[in-house]
Amino acid sequence: MADDVTRVRVDEFLPHSTARVWAALTDPDALRGWFMDGDFKPVVGHRFEFRTDPLAATGFSGVIACEVLDLEPEALLRYSWADARNPDGLDSVVTWTLHAEGTGTRVVVEQSGFDPDDAHQQLARTIMGGGWRSRVLRRLDSYLAQR
Amino acid sequence: MPQRTKVSATDRVFAALANPTRRDVLDLLLGGPRPVQEIADRFDMARPSVSEHLRVLLDAGLVTETRQGRQRVYAVTPEPLRELQDWLSPYERFWRGKLTGLRGYLEETHGG
Repeated sequence: MADDVTRVRVDEFLPHSTARVWAALTDPDALRGWFMDGDFKPVVGHRFEFRTDPLAATGFSGVIACEVLDLEPEALLRYSWADARNPDGLDSVVTWTLHAEGTGTRVVVEQSGFDPDDAHQQLARTIMGGGWRSRVLRRLDSYLAQR
Repeated sequence: MPQRTKVSATDRVFAALANPTRRDVLDLLLGGPRPVQEIADRFDMARPSVSEHLRVLLDAGLVTETRQGRQRVYAVTPEPLRELQDWLSPYERFWRGKLTGLRGYLEETHGG
């Protein structure tokens, strides 16, 4: 899992109710405030675009074509996430899940479907194989922290 | 045949890291600077092979070489490694940044 280059998963505990977190994930005005500009609607099948800065490292254009795939209020939101300007570019799925935890919410965001045959991914896999990500990057973090 | 005008610094870093022995050497040096002989002993390799690997790492800017008396001592260079880390996990960084933004947004609008 640590070396699986086809997906990334990040989670965070937020000291807010699942209702508030859900609103922040699904209200276009709220999304503009912390996420990105976009014409999102919480309706399965709705197609929309998000706009952000390009990611030079991966050749990503910054305009994301999305379609709402799944929706379960205050629990799950899934949309497709593809590079709108590059048909051969990123074609992935983003899934948000909310878990009530004590008085707050654990938010998990997972992006999956990175092409394992993409040149970038192959290189990343070669370099990250053999525990590179889990071991070497951790040592790098502590090395950098000492400076 | 297409000509590449120049080999970029990033290309050199990846070419250097494509070799597992060089990744292991780098891993060793993350534990602290080492003289070339100690690196050779650790990998059970002839000095010339070790020197060749170190030269590739040096050309990629991943390590530096200093002379201490009769010894050449190698140490890692943090900057290209930091860039490498960003390159290897840009999406992780992206989502982490967004979750930090979400936390800030929820705090600002709390009770509002």
